[in-house]
Amino acid sequence: MTAVVEVDGLTRKFGSLAAVNDATFRVEQNQIYGLLGRNGAGKTTLMQLLTGQQFASEGSIRVFGENPVENAQVLQNTCFIKESQKYPEDFQPRHVFKSAAWFFPNWDADFAAELATEFRVPLKRKMKKLSRGQVSAVGVIVGLASRAPLTFFDEPYLGLDAVARQLFYDRLLEDFGEHPRSIILSTHLIDEVSNLLEHVLVIDDGRIIIDAPADDLRGSATNVVGPAAAVEKFVAARTVLHRDGIGGLASVTVAALTPAEVSTARSAGLELSPVSLQQLIIRMTTEKEMEQSA
Amino acid sequence: MSAVTARPRNRILPVVKLHFANPWTTITFPWIVMLTILVLTILVWMLILANIADPVDQAKTREGFGYSGSSGFIFVYMIVVAVQSINTMFPFAQGYGVTRRNFALGTGLYFVLLSAFYSVGLTLLSIIEDATGGWGVGGSLFSVAYFGDTPPERLFVFFAIFILFFFAGSAIAAIYLRWKAFGITTFFIALAFLLVGLVALVTFVEGWDEVGAWFARTGLVGSFAWSLVISALAALGGYAVLRRTTPKN
Repeated sequence: MTAVVEVDGLTRKFGSLAAVNDATFRVEQNQIYGLLGRNGAGKTTLMQLLTGQQFASEGSIRVFGENPVENAQVLQNTCFIKESQKYPEDFQPRHVFKSAAWFFPNWDADFAAELATEFRVPLKRKMKKLSRGQVSAVGVIVGLASRAPLTFFDEPYLGLDAVARQLFYDRLLEDFGEHPRSIILSTHLIDEVSNLLEHVLVIDDGRIIIDAPADDLRGSATNVVGPAAAVEKFVAARTVLHRDGIGGLASVTVAALTPAEVSTARSAGLELSPVSLQQLIIRMTTEKEMEQSA
Repeated sequence: MSAVTARPRNRILPVVKLHFANPWTTITFPWIVMLTILVLTILVWMLILANIADPVDQAKTREGFGYSGSSGFIFVYMIVVAVQSINTMFPFAQGYGVTRRNFALGTGLYFVLLSAFYSVGLTLLSIIEDATGGWGVGGSLFSVAYFGDTPPERLFVFFAIFILFFFAGSAIAAIYLRWKAFGITTFFIALAFLLVGLVALVTFVEGWDEVGAWFARTGLVGSFAWSLVISALAALGGYAVLRRTTPKN
């Protein structure tokens, strides 16, 4: 596999705060990556570093094999419309789409027009007068129709309703099928995009704490539910990711079970259920704090 | 996959086009206001003259029409254009994957083109003004003495003023983009100290006669030619600031 992004020991400090802290990872070509994490975890800073908007304090970044900072050759192959993207004064969506064609070598104007209709973006209204969701839709359309070999979507759904979000996911997958490219999608709505993602990067407090294929993660944990005593007996020898309980019942999250273990659990009268990607990430980003505060 | 484009495409002209993508703000609107000002000013002049019966008083009044500052609107407006072309266009162009260098070059070229366009426009109006005896009422909006005596002189003076306003405005906008209000405040305090210091220095060495003599010697066009040096410094300074600027929310 070819890496389009290689990051090694990357740190970005703002005063004493490290917004990105010693991050090392790769982004493989033509895959959809989820960059997940809580507010202020460092997602936007990381994407700005990858697109040369932000400057590294330490470590190295290679995008298409080169340092992206002030590198026209690299940057012309990227598209990064931020969630809070500023648009030029008095621009209307039609100006945005018209000008995008001058910057993205693979821009597809017909596709953009089609998407504008589907997302119901008024072409001749000032950006300033659009609703939050319509502004987000403009960003989504630019991201999709640019067909940049490395495309970033930074929380693209802000203000988009459920229908529009589903439309975004559908169009993204469809177009990705026809024009494979590397996509990095940062989002809070982990369950919604769970099926879209091929690889997951979780950033917490500036550090990359998970870097794994989405399939591995999805099967990596199980909830064991049943009478507290039976559950505790079953999980005694395992690493417990999370523990919940009401009265005499317990629900415990443990690492994936072998088929033999599954049948042992079943015969002990325990219920097993898969852990969603979102639950798993919540467990992994909050357990740490509980340990620290304990 | 989407083909990776290896050869760098020219990104400077697209940046120029980007600035012109919506001509309303930078071309249509300023001309509408400028021409409205022109028409209103002429009407006011005519009204005033219509109410003065004595020919001697009329002649004196016409003299006063020779110094209208209304055309100053367009220069001030272009500072606003300069600020916006950095403040919102830079973060937008960054999202399009434009390097700071290409953005600065394209924006500089855009400023030069816009300055040329407006100075030609104003010079043409000044020629019409001369030919019609000051719009029939002896008024001056564009052929005012401080813009120069002949059309070529005016063309140069207009151009130099536009260039100065564009590059100074954009340099200040770049400072704001990078350091926000703190940067702007610091900059203007420093500038105020510098200017007061210069005035104090000239006063202290009793050099005002010298300064006056220098301007007289250098002449109007020569003085404005020196302003191009200030504009060039502002352009370089603005780029130096922008080079380490990250668009923020």
